[in-house]
Amino acid sequence: MGPWVGLPVLLLAVALQTTLVPQIRLWDGGPDLVFLCVLAWALRAPLAEGVAWAFTGGIMQDLLSLAPTGQSVIGLVLLVFVVNVLTEQFSRAGLLTLLLLAGVGTLAQQLLMWTLFAFQGFTVDFLDDLGYVIFPTVVYNFALILPVFAVLRFVQRRVEARQLVAR
Amino acid sequence: MVRAWRANRILFLVFCLSLSLLLIGLSSAGLLGPLEEVASIPLNLLTGALNEATLTLTGGVSDLAQLQTLQQRNAALEDALADLTAELVELREIARDYERLAELLDYAGTAASQEFVTADVISNDQTGLRRSITVNRGTRDGIAVGMPVVTAQGLVGRVLEISANASRILLVTDRDSAVSARLQGTRVQGSLRGQLSGSLRLTLVPPGESIVVGDLVLTSGLGGNFPPDIVIGQVASSRQFQFELFQEAEVISFNNFDELEVVLVMTSFEPIDPAVFDVMEN
Repeated sequence: MGPWVGLPVLLLAVALQTTLVPQIRLWDGGPDLVFLCVLAWALRAPLAEGVAWAFTGGIMQDLLSLAPTGQSVIGLVLLVFVVNVLTEQFSRAGLLTLLLLAGVGTLAQQLLMWTLFAFQGFTVDFLDDLGYVIFPTVVYNFALILPVFAVLRFVQRRVEARQLVAR
Repeated sequence: MVRAWRANRILFLVFCLSLSLLLIGLSSAGLLGPLEEVASIPLNLLTGALNEATLTLTGGVSDLAQLQTLQQRNAALEDALADLTAELVELREIARDYERLAELLDYAGTAASQEFVTADVISNDQTGLRRSITVNRGTRDGIAVGMPVVTAQGLVGRVLEISANASRILLVTDRDSAVSARLQGTRVQGSLRGQLSGSLRLTLVPPGESIVVGDLVLTSGLGGNFPPDIVIGQVASSRQFQFELFQEAEVISFNNFDELEVVLVMTSFEPIDPAVFDVMEN
């Protein structure tokens, strides 16, 4: 059921990403809601479910941007695998891990997007992009991961409870 | 079997990454076009509805926060309106003279024959690295790739990608956008490029040419991508470094690109593709 819950959640996240986020941008950076949703869900979900969220969210994001379909997926898939490895190592991811993943993960995802844009021949400027887009996005995601995690954890618990009842 | 496959995490990761790269390759080559078109229909519907609500909400909040500024601005605009009314009467007289003279010369003006399709903005590009918007009109409404997009405030961009019921517009503020432009007052020509900060920069202006702050920047029509005389913005500042070959000017657009709600697609204008001349030469 987890992957199916992802559809409306990610649809809403992508819709907000392209409508609300441009209004609250800090320089050119804004919260990456799809990234935050995938990260928050993957922390307590099986690997395959996290990957399904990464593909769904990434493809939806790319459909509403100039990026080719699949560009956002790579970073999200890598994130899900890293989260899976970390949660397996430490059994339960704590607050610090979550914040660290939000910060470092966003930085990695943004740098990957930047590299792919550069590779495709779009105009990019590393220092400008770092200051104007990437850094503000990292700050936003760092600040928003906890509320997003709280909301999605609530949804996840409801889904798990329903699954138990169904069994 | 499936469990064994999933248990092999590295193989699964390689598979997922390969699938992503395959998607990028197919999408870049345009082979996913029909699928992308179908998949984006529900997304466009949802973002269209949500965008309207968001703009109303943020507009209301912003108006409340800027009430005092708005009152001052209103007073300034009323003064400006009084000045401009007098100027308008004068310009109408000139326009009548122009029409009369144009009739005498049998000259068909370009602006009068333009046709537009009105489109609602349904979403903005989600990456801060690119600047584009999506509108709710596509090939069904007669829109084609390359058509210029404007508002009453001036040039917005041009159609870059298109589906049956939606189009993606590359904004003039995108760093990959270049528009041949000229200054209204001094007729100086240059190339207008978007900047990361969302501003515009007039480049390739020869040294020694006069750039006047406050002068209007219009499309020049050179290159055939845009019709001439569309307002783009106003010169805010200019600079020339000692050893640079060209001058530059910062240009401020009259459009607020983050709060665009309705745009006009110029359907009567057909952009010229210079590549046809290469084919003819060969």
